[in-house]
Amino acid sequence: MPTQVSVRSQSSLSRWWRTLRVGYWLGWQIESNWTDPLLFFIYSIARPLGGVLILVFMYHVVARAGGAAMLGFFVVGTACWPFVVRGMMGTAYSLISDREHWRTLRYVYISPISLRAYLVGRALAQATSAVAAAAVTLVFGRWVLGVPMHLATINAPYTAAAFVLGIGAVIALGLIVVSAAVLISGEAWRMPEGVGAALYLVCGAIFPVTVLPPALQALSQAIPLTWWLEAMRRGLLGPAVVRSLPQFTDPTVLGFLAMLTALWVAAALVAFTFAERRARQLGILDRESMY
Amino acid sequence: MSEIARARGLRRVVRATLGRAYPRIIGANRERSWLFYDTVLPLLGTIAFVYVYKALGAPDRFVGYVIMGGATMAFWMNVMWNMAAQFYWDKQGGNLELYMVLPCGIVPILLGMSIGGFVGTLVRAAAIIVIGSVLFHVTYAITQLPLFLLIFAVGIIALYGLGVTFASVFLMWGREAWHMAELFMEPVFLASGFYFPVRALGFWVGMGTSIIPLTLALDAMRQLLFPGSHPALLPVRAELGALVGLAVMFMLVARWSLRKMEYLARREGRLSLRF
Repeated sequence: MPTQVSVRSQSSLSRWWRTLRVGYWLGWQIESNWTDPLLFFIYSIARPLGGVLILVFMYHVVARAGGAAMLGFFVVGTACWPFVVRGMMGTAYSLISDREHWRTLRYVYISPISLRAYLVGRALAQATSAVAAAAVTLVFGRWVLGVPMHLATINAPYTAAAFVLGIGAVIALGLIVVSAAVLISGEAWRMPEGVGAALYLVCGAIFPVTVLPPALQALSQAIPLTWWLEAMRRGLLGPAVVRSLPQFTDPTVLGFLAMLTALWVAAALVAFTFAERRARQLGILDRESMY
Repeated sequence: MSEIARARGLRRVVRATLGRAYPRIIGANRERSWLFYDTVLPLLGTIAFVYVYKALGAPDRFVGYVIMGGATMAFWMNVMWNMAAQFYWDKQGGNLELYMVLPCGIVPILLGMSIGGFVGTLVRAAAIIVIGSVLFHVTYAITQLPLFLLIFAVGIIALYGLGVTFASVFLMWGREAWHMAELFMEPVFLASGFYFPVRALGFWVGMGTSIIPLTLALDAMRQLLFPGSHPALLPVRAELGALVGLAVMFMLVARWSLRKMEYLARREGRLSLRF
């Protein structure tokens, strides 16, 4: 059959790529086709904008004047965080909803595709839905709040490199969370949210990690998201920004981000392979908990 | 015929209400992980906002504001996810059809959900306040405890009235229910001043957002917790009066909306629409 021949003749890389694309398309449809584009756009931007405005008002009831550096810190952190929420938590929810809600995980699993590629595709679709929120938050920060973010001073190559590495780190974290979700049932819906809330606290999303207790500071430096947020702030805001990691230079921050991302990607692949194998051994890969 | 089946009138309503409240009070506590997540998740978010104030060098009372906001958030999340969106989950689980054919009607079911949700959330909110206050050494000086409790009680009645109204609207929805519940998170935290005095939004904006009962309830309780230093939106007794008005209004709106939406949902065949 022509289809069989074409599938067999494809290299593993091209099959992986095709699976990723289809996973991406499916993820985007699930994410966006529940409503019309306008409501979806409002839905996408309302939460991050609400989040940044909460921080702005918190700032104003305390400081009331000046302090654009701290506002910039808030704006970039709030703009970047939806990528974590959607990318990391979304990856986990993709698997859980396929297993529990749509009940399609078993069919996806027995098809001749890479489950990793499928999940990465779903994660990238989720991350794409965060783009509008990030863009609107940054524009709002620049033009309404007066955050000093100018095209002339943005370090574009640095920011782009940090962004790509950050998305890699988010997907790696997503795969690690998925690895845990594969092995648990009742708590699976809540666990990604718990991980997201913990990361929100320790990664310097809305405040510099320098105010955390020393133990949490050390923990935060082992997570690539801390370095990603720091690098994005330095790339977008330049030297005027309040820093989470003031002892490190810009290239060092990017270097640590790259190193930690590579480590977490490797850890994610190992964890996922182990979890998948273990779930099959226990017969729980497609277990529905009815939660 | 069993005693339960013979129950009529108010007795049946009370039995159905308690029956629906039971899994929320007793059943939910059997799942220890829920207890952990329901307490720890709002607490983690709350602590993050405490650190924002610490990074800004704010006075200690702002830490108290945030902890109060975190406890209130537990109620709001309960109302949105376990009241408003509950019928969505029930559709998925196949329970909604069963509720619809019950002889008691759907009102006692919602009442039971409210009572059970409130009791369960009260424990979690208390845990957030205790843990948060111990962690950050916050002390409160409640000047008029009976008034404080009255405001809390009226605020909760108004809030769950709003929850029933939302539940009736969400009855019509499929996947939108999940997304709409998500949509009503940060924007509501902002509009109700969960983490800062709502007066900071400006008087008229604050008055506008007072349609959400938590806005007035939080502001009034903060006036009693931090007397003299809290920038009030309205005097406490005026806010209490407005809350009573909101409670009555939401109960009436909920009753009307429930009838209307149930009729529409039946007519359009959405009661068993899962996706």
